[in-house]
Amino acid sequence: MFVITHLRRELRRRMRQAIVIALGLALGVGLVVTVSAASAGVNTAEASVLSGLYGVGTDMTVTGPSYSVHQSCVPISPGVKRCLTGGIKQPSRNVQTLQISPGGGAKICADGHCVSAAGRTYDRLVSPYQQPFSAAAVTAVARLHDVAAAAGVLALVDSAITFPASPGGSPRLATFTVDGVAAGHTPVGPLAGATLSSGRMFTAADVDADVAIVDSDYADTNNLKVGSVITIKQVRFFVIGIVSQPQGSSPPDVYIPLARAQALATLTKNLGGSVGNEVNLVYVATVSAAAIAAVQREITRLLPGDAVTAASSLAGQVTGSLSDAAKLARDLGRWLAVLVLIAAFAIASLLTMVAVGRRSAEFGTLKALGWQTRRIIAQVLGESLAVGIAGAAAGVGLGFAGAAIVATVAPPLSAAVPSSAIGSMQQVVEAGGTALGNRAVVVPFSPHISLGVISLALILAMAGALLAGALASWRIARLRPASALRLVA
Amino acid sequence: MYTLTGVTKLYQKGRRTVPAVTGLDLTIEDGEWLAVQGRTGHGKSTLLNLLGGLDRPTQGTIEFGSADFGALRETQLTRLRAESIGFIFQTFNLIPTLTAAENVEAALIPLGAGQSDRRTRVTAALRAVGLADRANHLPTELSGGQQQRTAIARALVKDPSVVLADEPTGNLDEDTRDDVIGLLEHLWRERGLTLVLVTHDAAVARWAQRTAVMTNGHLTIRQRSPNC
Repeated sequence: MFVITHLRRELRRRMRQAIVIALGLALGVGLVVTVSAASAGVNTAEASVLSGLYGVGTDMTVTGPSYSVHQSCVPISPGVKRCLTGGIKQPSRNVQTLQISPGGGAKICADGHCVSAAGRTYDRLVSPYQQPFSAAAVTAVARLHDVAAAAGVLALVDSAITFPASPGGSPRLATFTVDGVAAGHTPVGPLAGATLSSGRMFTAADVDADVAIVDSDYADTNNLKVGSVITIKQVRFFVIGIVSQPQGSSPPDVYIPLARAQALATLTKNLGGSVGNEVNLVYVATVSAAAIAAVQREITRLLPGDAVTAASSLAGQVTGSLSDAAKLARDLGRWLAVLVLIAAFAIASLLTMVAVGRRSAEFGTLKALGWQTRRIIAQVLGESLAVGIAGAAAGVGLGFAGAAIVATVAPPLSAAVPSSAIGSMQQVVEAGGTALGNRAVVVPFSPHISLGVISLALILAMAGALLAGALASWRIARLRPASALRLVA
Repeated sequence: MYTLTGVTKLYQKGRRTVPAVTGLDLTIEDGEWLAVQGRTGHGKSTLLNLLGGLDRPTQGTIEFGSADFGALRETQLTRLRAESIGFIFQTFNLIPTLTAAENVEAALIPLGAGQSDRRTRVTAALRAVGLADRANHLPTELSGGQQQRTAIARALVKDPSVVLADEPTGNLDEDTRDDVIGLLEHLWRERGLTLVLVTHDAAVARWAQRTAVMTNGHLTIRQRSPNC
């Protein structure tokens, strides 16, 4: 066909210029694709961290007021005083306490009766971060308008200090986190997003059973499998299932039925006795993202003094290289891609207009032969489009290469996810325990290119080429044949 | 064929106004061969551009058959050129990326002729100018004379009623000049074309039926050539 032949020959004649234009467009488009891929990877990583923090399907959490962190010292006997940092003001009935004398001896006391700690284990199951509140709050929250589901959880820490039988040895500390969760399936909660690796999940029949589900990482570290036994507050729990949680989440080590956790936990906001029908964390899912703000306000009104944290506010607390990478991709990356694209468009336009200027005599001849202006413009636009398609294809290729390079050279992303302070465990720290604080998680970063981004790249490249062709066409439209032919003469 | 009445063409050069053609009255009959002589810069090419609708007069009227150029829109003038007017240029003005056949074919594209029809007419046009064996050669592979023959074929392939030739032998040596002019004359007689040929070469002008001289934008008709 004449038109295709003419187009092909013209591009071949101006091959160098066509390559420069195509490469310029490819560079701009490739950068857009690479930045989009990196951005998508970072967004996916962020989403996995946030969903891991809450669990799948959770839009907000409700927690009780924090324990006020203070230190109080109570003399117990001459030369011996017990100092506690945290919400405990004084010892309570039915609560084990540990006395450590300046000489290094330790005693375990309960109901005013103390025994030597040698050869014994001081085991506590406490709610160290937030004060518990009535589980009736869960029912009240679940009844609110636009709440799809609510689940109460008792988030606890089990710390066991085992003292050596003979003097001279060091006490051994073992801590692990325990979540008391509702038995049976719930659409929200810490187990909502878990994947069962072996065994089974809780059923309604397990509500009062001494059964536990263990996180896969904890199971690996402690050689636990289905059928193993773990001790919580000196009670033997049988492992019935092992689960794994999404990457980036900070799951508890062990899950037990909520009623068992309430029976075994030793700390209340009233500072005495065991936890009754109470929880210290409520997971809430709304019917839609648009309802989150309204539900948040309703819960705050319903439970004044309790903290309602939505995913958006929690996202702001996630720090680390993940959030830095997100800012980089969103701000610098996006603007850099836009600038390069504008430069590519400008260069393409300039080169195309120069080429059209050089062909003025040819276009004048075609007009003399009877070619309408629109036919000549179509010819030029066709040439520009061909260059644009080449630029688009090269740009997508460059984008894939760029994304692969980013995936290869980018350092692992980490996110520091918030967790509560450990105030009341100061004793544990003094006994040689490990402080808990913000947890750092390594998040997999995988730039990925979607079909939408490829389509965008193609459209951008062709738009740039057509823009260049359009500007050149404006020049052709203004061309007077007689003036153009005078150029030849 | 043509009736020009009081045609004037002025160009703006900065603040100066340059008259290229002034108060020109001219009638060109159907089938006539008119040669327009004159020195460079005296308005010969401007006259040709006006006759071809490539430029519009500042004043006056140009009638081509029953069409008044002044009343036609640009697209209508372009269409008229496509159908009825063939051009031959001094520098041949062939498209460098197209073969001889494709250059000739370019004149048929605006007419919407089918591919098969175009091929037939192109072959016939090249044969008429003696270039049937050079159809697939690019302009750079043709001599000056061959390029001008290709341009002649391009001008004639659409069976125009008038051919406007601007110094068609200006870039050719004497022998080639005579060949090309001889070919033009042959085709003029054979097809009954109206031919307006601009030249500064008196030897070429002598081939025409009638000659005119452009001097500073004014046209003076001479007597008819004794050769016709």
